Amino acid sequence: MTTITAERDALYDRLIVERARAPLYAGRLDEPDLQGDGRNPLCGDKTHLDIALNGHHIRDIRHQTRGCAICTAAADLMVEHVRGGTVAQAVEMSERFRAMLVGPSPVVEGQSAPLGALEVFAPLRSHKARIRCAELPWIALKEAFSHVDG
Amino acid sequence: MSMHPPSTRAAPQLDVQAIRQQFPILGERVHDRPLVFLDSAASAQKPNAVIDSMANTMRHQYANIHRGLHWMSERTTEAYEGVRDLVADFLNAPSREEIVFTRNSTEAINLVAHSFGALLRPGQAVLVSQMEHHANLVPWQMLRERAGIELRIAPITDAGDLDMDAYSALLADGKVALVAMTHMSNVLGTITPARQIADLAHAAGAQVLFDGSQSVVHHKTDVQALGADFYTFTGHKLYGPTGIGVLWARRDLLERMPPFLGGGDMISTVTFEHATWANIPHKFEAGTPAIVETIGLGAAIEWVSKIGFDAIAAHEADLTAHALERLVGVPGLNIVGSPRVRGGVGSFTMADVHPHDIATLLDRNGIAIRAGHHCAEPLMRRLGLSATARASFGIYTQKEEIDVLADTLVRIRDFFV
Repeated sequence: MTTITAERDALYDRLIVERARAPLYAGRLDEPDLQGDGRNPLCGDKTHLDIALNGHHIRDIRHQTRGCAICTAAADLMVEHVRGGTVAQAVEMSERFRAMLVGPSPVVEGQSAPLGALEVFAPLRSHKARIRCAELPWIALKEAFSHVDG
Repeated sequence: MSMHPPSTRAAPQLDVQAIRQQFPILGERVHDRPLVFLDSAASAQKPNAVIDSMANTMRHQYANIHRGLHWMSERTTEAYEGVRDLVADFLNAPSREEIVFTRNSTEAINLVAHSFGALLRPGQAVLVSQMEHHANLVPWQMLRERAGIELRIAPITDAGDLDMDAYSALLADGKVALVAMTHMSNVLGTITPARQIADLAHAAGAQVLFDGSQSVVHHKTDVQALGADFYTFTGHKLYGPTGIGVLWARRDLLERMPPFLGGGDMISTVTFEHATWANIPHKFEAGTPAIVETIGLGAAIEWVSKIGFDAIAAHEADLTAHALERLVGVPGLNIVGSPRVRGGVGSFTMADVHPHDIATLLDRNGIAIRAGHHCAEPLMRRLGLSATARASFGIYTQKEEIDVLADTLVRIRDFFV
């Protein structure tokens, strides 16, 4: 008899399922300074970001995502992690997130500059077809930042 | 819900266990679970008969064909050309010269778009349906850009059937030169009323192409009874290899059409200034063809024909009925479309669970299905969906596998909701 629960540890961490079901940072901002969109033509998933800046700080950020559990949770957890930090910190985090998924060696636990809760996506390394789902919000973030100088 | 003819009442029983024994891959395990392969509509698995015929060709009897004067070449040419006879018989084509080998169904449709398309003029139209695979839409869009023809789209009903009234209306002005239509939808499983489509098209002065990629697998195909002018299918969905597809077209059409690709084998004489074309079908087969794959396709056709389409159609109708019954019982599950006649392909969505999450979790349980837009994005938009999950059945599919699918879907739903 097969079980789904076994998957909880492997790919769909409890946190992913919870954030997909009830995202904490879904919605729009009234007057965003930046906006970004990510779209996956393979599955039609899309995410929209509204960002409010205070200098180089991300004062507030919200996402509107229509996608799978991994995409929705990735958007929500990304927002949670970049909110309050600087644009440069978010860009650096984006690079480490990407390295965790497709870099030459997997992120080792306890390594410096951990990604915190974002590490729930690490098992995607062995699910190549789904990496794009977790990357989509980061692609939208990159697009939003492309409108920022320096 | 009716299933495709023939009637199941007197149909011979299929010995599914004996058939499964002939597919070595079905003994494999995925993620440490027995493989449940429900993605045959994308590409079917291969029986030993096909695998062995291809391996034996390369081991014992292989050389380039048609121009060789040696024993190996002559024997290989016989084997290759023998498949043309098999395909002609398989489709009940009037003549073997009307069978053109291509890489796949996509290439066959592109051939028609290029070569029949060259005969079309601005003011004429090509008519497709809303439920076409991209393979039977994009080549016509490209022709429209190239030749200035009009591309018309026949709508479907919410149930997933061709809207016959709208179809007739689109033919009414007599400008449609070609109707290019799926014979069975790869998303909805709809089997289209080919004869009726063809009769209406002919009455309006149009030729008809059927994309048979899905349908040839499930029931007997008779291009003459269907009233088709062009018919395409691909080998790899018919338990044969990839890299080999078929275009059948009426002789007079093939003779009027200019070549598709130029090169060796398709010419009669060549000077530095000029070339003349070989007779059909060779005019449309430039370069060394997929010799081994063609021979593999022949093995697949012989293998399927031996089992017989009465038994295959009855088995698959039985599976489809069982699947509809079981899937309806999964909480939150919605089966997409309810066409009047459907083959062994079904799409579904599940409330609060994305098709890609369904597919990944099924895969972790050894169950292979497909999720996404199934190369039919405009159809997805028509249905108001961005993606579906799709299960499809083959000759080797067992009812127990559908039960495993349904039970696992229930647990996936519990996990997410």
